[in-house]
Amino acid sequence: MAKPKKKVTSQERNEFIWGWIFIIPTMLGLIILNIIPIFQTIYKSFFKTGDFGRGNIFVGMENYQKMFADTQVWQALLNTLKYALMEVPFSIIISLVLAVLLNRKMRGRSVYRTIMFLPMVAAPAAVAMVWRWLFNSDFGLLNHVLGTKINWISSPDIAIYSIAVIGIWSIIGYNMVLFLSGLQEIPGDYYEAASIDGATGLKQFWHITCPLLSPTIFFVLITRIIGALQVFDLIFMVMDKSNPALMKTQSLVYLFYEYSFRQKDQGYGSAIVVLLLTVIMIVTVFQMIGQKKWVHYN
Amino acid sequence: MKTRRIAALCMCAVMTASLAACGGSGDKGASEGGKDKGGKLSVMIWDNYQEPGLKEIIADFTEETGIEAELQVVQWNEYWTLLEAGAQGGEMPDVFWMHSNESQRYMSNEILLDLTDKASDSELVDMSKYPEEIKELYTYDGKVYGIPKDIDTIALWYNKTMFDEAGVDYPDETWTWDTVVENAKKLTKEDGSQYGIAIRNDNNQEAYYNIVYDMGGEIISDDKKTSGYDDPNTIKAMQYIEKLIQDGSMPSMETMSENNPDILLKSGKSAMSFHGSWMVSTFKQEDYIKENCDCAVMPMDADSGRRVSIYNGLGWAAAANGDNTENAWKLIEYLGSEKAQQKQAELGITMSAWDGTSDTWAGCAPEFNLQAYLDMRDDMVVRPYSRNTVTWENRASEIFKDVYSGNMSMEDACKQIAEEMNATLSEE
Repeated sequence: MAKPKKKVTSQERNEFIWGWIFIIPTMLGLIILNIIPIFQTIYKSFFKTGDFGRGNIFVGMENYQKMFADTQVWQALLNTLKYALMEVPFSIIISLVLAVLLNRKMRGRSVYRTIMFLPMVAAPAAVAMVWRWLFNSDFGLLNHVLGTKINWISSPDIAIYSIAVIGIWSIIGYNMVLFLSGLQEIPGDYYEAASIDGATGLKQFWHITCPLLSPTIFFVLITRIIGALQVFDLIFMVMDKSNPALMKTQSLVYLFYEYSFRQKDQGYGSAIVVLLLTVIMIVTVFQMIGQKKWVHYN
Repeated sequence: MKTRRIAALCMCAVMTASLAACGGSGDKGASEGGKDKGGKLSVMIWDNYQEPGLKEIIADFTEETGIEAELQVVQWNEYWTLLEAGAQGGEMPDVFWMHSNESQRYMSNEILLDLTDKASDSELVDMSKYPEEIKELYTYDGKVYGIPKDIDTIALWYNKTMFDEAGVDYPDETWTWDTVVENAKKLTKEDGSQYGIAIRNDNNQEAYYNIVYDMGGEIISDDKKTSGYDDPNTIKAMQYIEKLIQDGSMPSMETMSENNPDILLKSGKSAMSFHGSWMVSTFKQEDYIKENCDCAVMPMDADSGRRVSIYNGLGWAAAANGDNTENAWKLIEYLGSEKAQQKQAELGITMSAWDGTSDTWAGCAPEFNLQAYLDMRDDMVVRPYSRNTVTWENRASEIFKDVYSGNMSMEDACKQIAEEMNATLSEE
């Protein structure tokens, strides 16, 4: 570190200034829209909030005490984890396979890629509405085609999995595009050398594709877990308030919405979101530690 | 390696942050709806079906006064989120609808424009012409914060074709709640293709509140301090619902949560359901309902002979901190005037609040016996409310789910609701 201090040239200063100018819009956005609200949310979680944000009363840990005793919150946490455990692995595996298949030279490749990416373009609310009708137990296409009478979205035992199916379906395209770009960075030489040595396609996948793609897989994994733990819009759109399966499907963010905006108890809502923040941070820390074992940066 | 990890950590922090952000930034994004667009008044409502009619009335207003106004429809759920955010962030629509579930909070925090003097000085608005209880919904500490817009009552809808097929006489004013239970069973088919009646666990105003008041029970005491759910008469009334569930005369709660009673009615799945007068504008556009269904007065209680309709009415209100309060008042004044109220009924938008203007409303859909809704005005009880209506109403719906699924008796459910509701009320 003990380098002799050089005089700053005008070019260096110029670069310094321009560098800041370029990142300031993003930083401002982050600070105003994300970072300040985080602290405001944490602050609010210690208050019993009054109507329209007026007359907040400091209650210390009361919201947290109430939360830790609230079975609804723990059920919601369990639902959220269940959802994430379904959505993340399945969406990654399926999209990885699709990406590998669509990375070969083939006719109509871009058409297939576009088709797989389409769910990502549709508005989540619209996607949820369509699926809600597909799943409808009385008039839905799914039961009609299968000739069954299953309550896909109103039976407490399976509703969360039905919701996860929608989640997987909508995210596959996005993951696939990320994997495709990762795949294209792997030099073809490796595969050539491997085939000369007699490695089969499957072996190549395990020993070349997977290790070299691991940084991308790690990125997708970490962002998807965070995204899945924040699931809200699907549940909000698909589950009606009177749905008997609601208790077994509502996520932490759904509960946060319910308390903050429907029941106008923003203090309690904030406490719930702080719990989620903590859970996400813990999960992420473990992933950061775990990555050493399997992610190869070259 | 190190910088990469730090970068990744920062990214994760940011991703988690974006969630927390939705709590705080909601009010920024939401306020757009209330923006004053170049001197035009912004008007916000939640009912799509009333939009065309109200547009017409507002056009009349613009013609008379030269003040332009823009109508915006926001669905019920988002409506209150938007309005609340607007009230906190400072950007509300100029003129909007108020509902008894929420009015207390808005009035006591002086979010709404005080209309007391304006209303008493007005030549167009005559406060004595509106129903007393609806006025009360929008009055706080003797100050008027809203001008009544409409009133709504409840009626019984039934599928004539199904009644014919089952050989049951159409509902009329002789029906009691016992008749309903009895005939619902007759109209139910074993194979699950047709049910006698559909009442959801949250159909309070449209269904079970009416039974409760027929039988002398109550939902909330007059002083809004105690719950009426543990009143023996309330429990007795709610047990009629339990009977319907146990008889299998109702579709499962799963079915009803995916398909509202009105959908079940218009898809020929249920023979009866109860609907508020605000549903007429939807029903008159449905061919199936026009061909097969009609409405009748609500059933009565056999002992007391009482035939209550829960009623409610919306109010037109304005934002206290609006830029355009003068013009906003002019619009509200116009909408509350006898002329506009008359037109509202004539166009079939809703029944009107102004005394004697609603009779023409029955003509808006001659294929239905809409006189039933007008007759229901003879014995009305205002929709039970308190400051935090939504909180205890949601809890009650939640607990009733256990009765529908057969895990709890109606009596226990009512007692539990009373207990929780009393706790909520004591905090108000």
